[in-house]
Amino acid sequence: MGMSVAFEGDARAAATVKLAEEQALVRSAQAGDRLAFEELVRRFDREVLRLALNLVKRPEDARDIYQESFLRVYRNLHRFRFECSFYTWLYRIVTNVALDHLRRRTSRREDQAPVPEEAEGGTRDFFDRQPEMRAAANPERHLLGQELGEHIATALDRLSPRERMVFEMKHYQGLKLRAIGDMLGTSEETVKNSLFRATRKLRASLDGMR
Amino acid sequence: MQQEQHGNKSAETCEEFGPRWTLFAAGELDATEIAEMNEHLLHCANCNATLAQENALLALLSSNRTEPDAALLAGCRASLEDALDQEEEHGWLRRAISTWMPGSWISPAPAWSAALLLLIGFSVGILGPRFVKHSIAPNSASQAGTSTTASTLPEIANPDDSASSSLSKLDLHTANFAGINVFPSSNNEPPQVELQLNTRQPITVQGTVNDDEVKSVLLYFLHNSQRFDADARMNAVELLRARNNDADVRAALCQTVHTDQNAAVRLKALEALAGAEPQDIIQQTLLDALVDDHNPGVRVEAINALREMAAKGQVDSDDHLLAVLRDRVQKDPSTYIRLQSAAAIRDLGPRQKF
Repeated sequence: MGMSVAFEGDARAAATVKLAEEQALVRSAQAGDRLAFEELVRRFDREVLRLALNLVKRPEDARDIYQESFLRVYRNLHRFRFECSFYTWLYRIVTNVALDHLRRRTSRREDQAPVPEEAEGGTRDFFDRQPEMRAAANPERHLLGQELGEHIATALDRLSPRERMVFEMKHYQGLKLRAIGDMLGTSEETVKNSLFRATRKLRASLDGMR
Repeated sequence: MQQEQHGNKSAETCEEFGPRWTLFAAGELDATEIAEMNEHLLHCANCNATLAQENALLALLSSNRTEPDAALLAGCRASLEDALDQEEEHGWLRRAISTWMPGSWISPAPAWSAALLLLIGFSVGILGPRFVKHSIAPNSASQAGTSTTASTLPEIANPDDSASSSLSKLDLHTANFAGINVFPSSNNEPPQVELQLNTRQPITVQGTVNDDEVKSVLLYFLHNSQRFDADARMNAVELLRARNNDADVRAALCQTVHTDQNAAVRLKALEALAGAEPQDIIQQTLLDALVDDHNPGVRVEAINALREMAAKGQVDSDDHLLAVLRDRVQKDPSTYIRLQSAAAIRDLGPRQKF
């Protein structure tokens, strides 16, 4: 019990130091320190890229979202007033950029096709569409197979951009609904409803696949 | 009868609990609610099945997750760095425009705004070519008369321009240095170089330093010193030494003397500048190293090189040079540098009082 309290105390102290460091970095970056800005980028960019990649699936699109997001952060950093955490502020920007991207994609019919055709006219599965990932051993590939991957991609494409964003942030970024609401500029109740709708649609689409 | 009552109660409670299983699986309920739902699970097969389905759905979707790999992340970071460089270059222009023309100026009076834009367009279209013609003419004449020499080339090479030719920017930006092999030539030709780079696919660039592609990659190592290790940069400096009168190479070597974080690389770059021209640029680089470099070995090399240039009559003995040398005589922590600086002053001009 005593050790547990001490551990919690240490964790809290570490979090406080980390926050103070982060604020110092933001202030330096606001004053024009490029290295401080790059350090901030390195603290968060892997998560940003993971979010983008799992939303849009194509590495080149994820790269666009990554770049556009951090450029907007760079351009607007002087507006950040420490009224929320830097993480929340960053994610407001990232989610806006990603939602814009998803909406544009939804409006383009050619991008709506869940599986792009190969030059030869055949189709490729989800994993084949991500050449960078092939080098890493992925045991799920053997289990899922082509049909399952396509079904999941199709099911995810049926969600609205906002539903997809909420589902992704909740289940894979591990964020609380309230935090997601802060980032998306909406209420917790609205986010909850989006999560319900997303889950219902996915359940209906993937019924029989489990 | 009792079982039937229990069954009815479960059915009523299931309706109440229905959507909350989504929140339960998402970890969004507080401790009291979780305890209440766990209690319900103990005697409700329907809800157990619902929760199992919920978890199975999440597990299924989890299996379709993608993790960004290191190459993609490195590529994103490199592209962002370039974009930030451009942002900094053009930042002043945007700030000036936003100061004089705030974003809202165009919306209240679209007709006037359109007219003004047309006027600016016509003005630029008519006056621009005349201005360009006048400013280019003298340069063209001098180029027509003589062959291009080092002094007519731009002094500072754009790092991005150096990464041209068949290697795309993306390739170099995402490339990691894998190895370098140097094969000495039997005659006086420059050595053969084999540069191995890892991008999405391994790349090997072969040739001598006289090949533009080899030169581009070597310059890229120096311009992006934070991405390549000191050995790679040392090799690059050593190989580029043979072309130290090339404007791009000279600019890169001078930049390396000023900015490389490794003292051995800076020292090597100073050595590589020996014999390069124009002398005023080399002299200034040596003086900068003599004053600013915190490493005494680099400063020793700088003062030695200055004295060698002075002995050959290649030093422009002006007030600035003498002021720098006097400053070193008084302030440099190294006795050798203080003595050599005093000797350089004696070599260069009339005896000075310190």
